[in-house]
Amino acid sequence: MSDIVVSSRVRLARNYDDLPFRSKITREQSEECVQRTLDALRPLPQAYSFYPLRDMEANEKRALMEAHLISPDLMEHEDTGAVLIRADEKIAVMMNEEDHLRIQGFSLGDNLTEAAENAFSIDDVLQEQLSFAFDHQLGYLTACPTNAGTGLRASVMLHLPLLTQAKQMGKMNQLAAKLGLTLRGIYGEGSEAQGNLYQLSNQVTLGKTEKEIIDAVAATARQMAEMENVYRGKALDKDEIGFQDQLYRSYGLLTHARRMPVKEFMNHWSNLRLGASMKVLPVTTALCDELLTLAQPAHIQNAAKTILNEKDQDAFRSALIRGKLNGGT
Amino acid sequence: MLCEECGKNQAEVMMTTVVGGQSATRHLCRECLKKYQAGDLQAVLAAILSTMAGKLHLADDEEEIALKCPQCGETYAEFQKTGMLGCAGCYQAFRKELTPLITKVQGRTQHAGRRPPVSEEEQARQTRMEELRSLMEAAVQEENFEEAARLRDELRAMTPAREEKKA
Repeated sequence: MSDIVVSSRVRLARNYDDLPFRSKITREQSEECVQRTLDALRPLPQAYSFYPLRDMEANEKRALMEAHLISPDLMEHEDTGAVLIRADEKIAVMMNEEDHLRIQGFSLGDNLTEAAENAFSIDDVLQEQLSFAFDHQLGYLTACPTNAGTGLRASVMLHLPLLTQAKQMGKMNQLAAKLGLTLRGIYGEGSEAQGNLYQLSNQVTLGKTEKEIIDAVAATARQMAEMENVYRGKALDKDEIGFQDQLYRSYGLLTHARRMPVKEFMNHWSNLRLGASMKVLPVTTALCDELLTLAQPAHIQNAAKTILNEKDQDAFRSALIRGKLNGGT
Repeated sequence: MLCEECGKNQAEVMMTTVVGGQSATRHLCRECLKKYQAGDLQAVLAAILSTMAGKLHLADDEEEIALKCPQCGETYAEFQKTGMLGCAGCYQAFRKELTPLITKVQGRTQHAGRRPPVSEEEQARQTRMEELRSLMEAAVQEENFEEAARLRDELRAMTPAREEKKA
């Protein structure tokens, strides 16, 4: 079942060879970085939106972060940070992040190759016109040497509720580490991974080709997905009604509750998606994945078009979820 | 012992991170540990880098003080603190110091994969350099050392700083 991989992302770190890195860059030079990037990408045929962070409302910025289009790091550098996003949200080019450019390519589901092609398409256009810091030995040069070489980070988002429940995540962490990869929770702080969502990505960026890196992440993700499936099968064999009961209880709450705090949502969301993936519940995984972003706090505030207090946010969230799951009731 | 991260609170936990088979241990207070647990991988790697940079070069501290990138003015001490370089030129200025660090973190030091396209100008330069190299070899064969030395100087003048070591 490949829908255990929720989404795929590839990012490339690039720096212009004539501009200092972030710790030494002047304001004028950061503006130059944005300007030349925009000029070079202007001829692209698809529609793009440009967002200089300093001109945006706090909530709009947070919504971009919730959609993983910008990084927390870029949020912290809003005076010079900017992002260019393709209309279909499959490409986002962050400017003045830790590196001059962080070119991100996205894809739904298990498709790192497509995500990489999206990122490379921007890299190609830029490299034809502009000159990136590059060393024959060390590859693309980055502000932090841990990103030098390909400057590529390939990551997949995995939904692993049964492996989490069976306390197998420590083992998964070890498996990832052995292969030079890292696994961590996406939502929530510390060891708690809200929604049982994890990000698997490469650590090493130098000495391997882009394809080798991507293939290693994809292969390990598939291995973890297979293990998750084994545990799903076991849970069904052990107590099918009990398993269905757990999923339907979450479904019942999501379709009927009148206030839904985000943390509680994440727990039920995990059961909802598990039920969708196993064809137990009458929802699609695509709808679950859409809800995951739409129900996050900044998205709720934006959809409400007014500042809500926490209780009202929770009420708005539950109404939105009910609407999506019941087809509008 | 005080926390190695903030230097303010008492260190209560020991964090060992393993990257590419190499481990680095840091003593942290609970506050700083939280930051790491929040999953800021970049911060963790930067911390490991700066710890390793510190360890590797404890002996020749005096040399470090003088170490400074001529292009952006970043000192090696600054890099040790932040894990961040100031410009592309820093890689050349600190190459000797960075190479063991990069080897530890990345496991390898020779880039594989995508490269920037070579411009016509660059292609012409490389072709000309090839020509000069064969002319120089021919001059040496003919024991025309004066000519060989002239060609060598011309070659050197055409070699960009970053490639000098290889040429």
